Amino acid sequence: MSKIFPKSANALPLQIVIFLFVLGGVATAAVTYYATPKYVRVGYQPVQPVPFDHGLHTGQLGLDCRYCHASVEKSATSSVPPAQTCMNCHSIIKTTSPLLEPVRKSFETGEPVEWVKVHQTPDYVYFNHSVHVNRGISCVECHGKVNEMSTVWHDKSLSMGFCLDCHRAPEKFIREPKDVFNLDSKTLADQGRIDEAHKMIKDWKVKPPQSCSGCHR
Amino acid sequence: MKRKFDHPTASNGPRYWRSLDELAETPGFREQMAREFPDGASSIDGVDRRQFVKIMAASFALGGIGLAGCRRPESNILPYGKAVEYTIPGLPLYYATAMALRKSAVPLLAETHQGRPTKLEGNPSYTPHGGATSLVAQASVLDLYDPDRATAHTKGAKTLSAAEVNDLLANISKQYAGNGEGLAFLADETGSPTRARLVASLRQKFPRAIWAEYEAVQDEPPVAAAQASFGRSVKPIYRFAKAKRIVTLDADIFHAESGSLYYAREFAKGRRVAKATDPMNRLYAVESNFTLTGSMADHRLRLASSHMTAFAAALAARVLGTNVFDSLAQGLTVDSKWIDECAKDLVANGGASAVVAGAHLPAAAHVLVNAINARLGNIGATVDFVAVDAPTASTIQALAAAIKAGSVKTLFVLNGNPAYNAPADLNFGALLKSVPDVIRYGYSVDETAALSGTVLASTHYLESWSDARTMDGTIVPVQPMILPLFGGLMEVELLARLAGEDQPEAYAQVFATIGARSSGDAKKAFEKFLHDGLIEGSAYPSVSVAFNPQSAGELLRTAVAPVSLSKDSLEARFTTDHKIDDGRFANNGWLQECPDPMTKISWDNAILISPRLAKEIGVYPSGTKLQVARVEQADFPQGKEKAPIAEITINGRTVRGPLHIQPGLANYTIVLPLGYGRTQSGHIGTGAGFNAYTVRTSDSMSYATGVTLRLTGEHMKLANTQEHWSMEGRDIIREANHDEFQKNPAFVDSIGMEAHTPAVYGKDANQSAAFLATNTPRGNSLYEQPNFEGTHQWGMSIDLNTCIGCNACVVACQAENNIPIVGKDQVMRGREMHWIRLDRYYSDGKADAGAFGGEGNKEIPEDPQAIVQPMTCQHCEAAPCEIVCPVNATVHDDEGLNVMAYNRCIGTRYCANNCPYKVRRFNYFDFNKRATDALYMGPLGHQKEMPELVKMVKNPDVSVRMRGVMEKCTYCVQRIQQAKIAQKRKAGASGDIEVPDGTIKVACQQVCPVDAIEFGNIKDPNSRVSQLKLEERDYAVLGYLNVRPRTTYLGKLRNPNPHMPDYYALPLSRVEYNNKNHVSHDGQNGGKH
Repeated sequence: MSKIFPKSANALPLQIVIFLFVLGGVATAAVTYYATPKYVRVGYQPVQPVPFDHGLHTGQLGLDCRYCHASVEKSATSSVPPAQTCMNCHSIIKTTSPLLEPVRKSFETGEPVEWVKVHQTPDYVYFNHSVHVNRGISCVECHGKVNEMSTVWHDKSLSMGFCLDCHRAPEKFIREPKDVFNLDSKTLADQGRIDEAHKMIKDWKVKPPQSCSGCHR
Repeated sequence: MKRKFDHPTASNGPRYWRSLDELAETPGFREQMAREFPDGASSIDGVDRRQFVKIMAASFALGGIGLAGCRRPESNILPYGKAVEYTIPGLPLYYATAMALRKSAVPLLAETHQGRPTKLEGNPSYTPHGGATSLVAQASVLDLYDPDRATAHTKGAKTLSAAEVNDLLANISKQYAGNGEGLAFLADETGSPTRARLVASLRQKFPRAIWAEYEAVQDEPPVAAAQASFGRSVKPIYRFAKAKRIVTLDADIFHAESGSLYYAREFAKGRRVAKATDPMNRLYAVESNFTLTGSMADHRLRLASSHMTAFAAALAARVLGTNVFDSLAQGLTVDSKWIDECAKDLVANGGASAVVAGAHLPAAAHVLVNAINARLGNIGATVDFVAVDAPTASTIQALAAAIKAGSVKTLFVLNGNPAYNAPADLNFGALLKSVPDVIRYGYSVDETAALSGTVLASTHYLESWSDARTMDGTIVPVQPMILPLFGGLMEVELLARLAGEDQPEAYAQVFATIGARSSGDAKKAFEKFLHDGLIEGSAYPSVSVAFNPQSAGELLRTAVAPVSLSKDSLEARFTTDHKIDDGRFANNGWLQECPDPMTKISWDNAILISPRLAKEIGVYPSGTKLQVARVEQADFPQGKEKAPIAEITINGRTVRGPLHIQPGLANYTIVLPLGYGRTQSGHIGTGAGFNAYTVRTSDSMSYATGVTLRLTGEHMKLANTQEHWSMEGRDIIREANHDEFQKNPAFVDSIGMEAHTPAVYGKDANQSAAFLATNTPRGNSLYEQPNFEGTHQWGMSIDLNTCIGCNACVVACQAENNIPIVGKDQVMRGREMHWIRLDRYYSDGKADAGAFGGEGNKEIPEDPQAIVQPMTCQHCEAAPCEIVCPVNATVHDDEGLNVMAYNRCIGTRYCANNCPYKVRRFNYFDFNKRATDALYMGPLGHQKEMPELVKMVKNPDVSVRMRGVMEKCTYCVQRIQQAKIAQKRKAGASGDIEVPDGTIKVACQQVCPVDAIEFGNIKDPNSRVSQLKLEERDYAVLGYLNVRPRTTYLGKLRNPNPHMPDYYALPLSRVEYNNKNHVSHDGQNGGKH
């Protein structure tokens, strides 16, 4: 009786198994790299039309976040300031800087400066800034230490898992109200005051939504 | 070759059936059985399947190259150059404005997002409306973004710039300076004080110019009647809240009459009953059409419109105790006991009753009604008369005569659409052509614009400065929300330029009008006017009037005696359409798709005929008669109404239209809804329905007699969203008479399955809503119990006793929640997307036990009672939709909302199948992206995407859903979340996070003129909704399923007069319920348990 399969076929099952492992690994790596926010978004640092330096303005000059992002305590969006806000100072200082040309032009013509969006939630996510900053969650939790960035980059993944990490355990992230806009401050938990954090959660009735309706409408 | 399925042959023994169609073995059902897939499932219209696959393959290949889709595209943030005052990005701003419709405006608050109006709410400062809005006001925001609106001023083929238009107007003003001979205007009616002022100054400048006004339909009583009755120009305003007995003569006080929003609201105040001891008003409706008013009536008499004057005379004779009206009442064929008892009831409630005649009725009927109200002492009590300016404008007939005489050289047509809706005998289209210079000022490129040499594009009212008056005369502002999108011209400015005013800008003109009214600082007064949205105390002054029998008697000589009607000599009644009014809203998709509240037809109008007439002319359905209009034919399967086309002849003029059998019509009255059959309206309105204006002449503006009807033998399809008219003896809507309610306030518990089974809540049956929601376990229920631990537990209560079925909630929901329209073809496939619908049921009490499972009596009722029920997602605590979802796309949150995660949904539609209330809606296509005629075009359809303009109406706080996902009522989750966030923001470093009762108003609740819908936190025992749920009339639809809906209903009450010949001891739906479920009981006398 002649052989149907050559001898080399004996290795085939092992080869198939190895191939499948490699394929699976490549697929996982590809999806992780190409499709998860942790890799897709973190580190994103686009070039802006005006090289506004957050580190200089907030870190060194000590501007409060809310001087420019004025609606952060009232509205869903923190809002990027109108050119007018920049001109409050820059009509006096650095009035001829070529870097500020787009701002001056916008102030005169009303045409907006085309800032590039760094942080973006999908259309079906209705994130609200005001409810977070009014209830003890600091800017730094999602945006990182913007006061040290000269050009802003995407610091946290802002994926749904990232949101839920906090919504499931707010006591780990909550701060005293006075520290919310102080990006160098620490959370109560990091200061070792976890009991106070728990008390605050209880007193303030902090119950971050964990169901779909909290963010998706 | 497809497999053919045959219905299995029945074996001996009991026979089970899934639908009435199956039982009756109708051809449609047999055809459906034979198909492997339901209609439409196995074919792609428009695009060949092979072609489709080819293109799909090609696009996949293209898409795959370079993994282009893997990185997110760069997007920008565009801040303002200079900050805009009051504007905070992300927060809506509200401005007071008003929508004028004829002489009664609806005061509004417009919600704007960064200058873009998206939603209109009623202005709560105007107390007569209490923050309610009408159906058309809700939809009017869509007209602002109508891609078919006039976008440029044109003269012939040439486009005119704004400067050229100003020159044109200045030239005309100069040319006719002197006496204005040869200049004429034809305008719509309005109450605007600024326009009145400008018209007066135009008259002064051009004393011989003709100023004519024309409205296709009348919604205010004729002036002649007031003059004859009281010798002065007054109009009645009814105070229904104070009226215990109300009689309407062909008056649809909930829709067609001026002030209907106020009237509905006032009526509800007298209708609402909380405790058994509360009094309740009684409504007698005498009408030819079946209107919403008729559906609310305790006694309803079907009577031809041409017999109304005779009826008024007969009623007046009884109330006044005189026989002078006997000659007028000759020929009336009404059971005289009906009139006797009705009159007795009125007399017994003198000073607390009201008799209303429809605005379209002849002056004689109004004079008789005035006499009745005067004798009853109602004037000054329930009927106020207010002084209004006597009209000074010419009629369209006078203008037509002048045009014929050749004395009109330049004609301005301001708004309106006379080429389409002028009386047919004037042949106005031809007249327009004979005028040398016609300047048309209008919003859309319509029939009139097509015949005009110069077309000036008007602004939408949300882009305009103007003012208006409400039905009681209160002056309200019309202020712009946005700069004119296409640079249109404002009406006030046009008139001001012609009048040669120094400051012709609309703002300056309105300012001048309002400023002149105030004694103090004009600027402050004007700012207050804009802020409040009205001028307090500017209503028409109430006057005391005395009825003058002499002059009234003279007018009565003009009354026409009723003619007898038969199938060969019918009466035709012209009515405004419930949705698109006189045709002005024909290009509004929201309104076109909204089903008519009674016929449930969308996208069309139909000639309504009574069941008796249908029988006599031989179009009576031969199939399942529980479905009114459905004529069984294999080529017209379910969801498509097969309507025979008939030709109507009125005085030699003919029109063809589809017939729809409407229960409750006067036997020989046919109803022709106006407003359809537009030939130039736009993508939406053109070609929908038939044009009844072509048979309406100056002498028969509201009804005509001697009408004949001829069947053509042709048929057409109508999109009807609810053909099935019967509740089939079930307990979906529970109703009782007021006297039964007084004896047994908890009557709702003695109806339905709950009456026969242990309470679904077991020992907790009598606990509060809060306790039930959070504590009561569901026994052995299969469903997983969500933990209702949230701060709030949301719930809703809908009062069926006050709901008038006006459909305003349907469109309000559509506007708030970005609900798309789907088009006639998709509606016929049952794919309409409305999150809330109004189910309308008829019952005549004659369906016997056999009707619900056999041959029995299932005749189409000639004189039924109608009930409407708003139906939307009930947010069941044990939701059947949730357990069947394979991907957890629909789940519960901890506050009791049944939420939809659109991103998870894969479109299995199991949830819709498992929903007992049938309230889930599926996006079969990209309805939000595609035009309705491009749905079946596959990838090719992308060329017909919605224009950017249409996207501007979308609410930015609600996701726009894509193809392939399920959606449904969310209890306006965006409003809930915004309120919760606002409360938490306020709470800051405190625990005060509970949203106070009344903060959240869901869209359907906010628009409701009768406050039938209440929404709130049922965990709070003091909230309004908790209180309502404690009322004894509270019941859950299909409550026996133990799905524990969060929306519950309050049972309906009727208040018939025991002395009336058509008295019923039980509402007719209860009779049918008893007939079906308690055959041994005597249905007529009330089956008691």
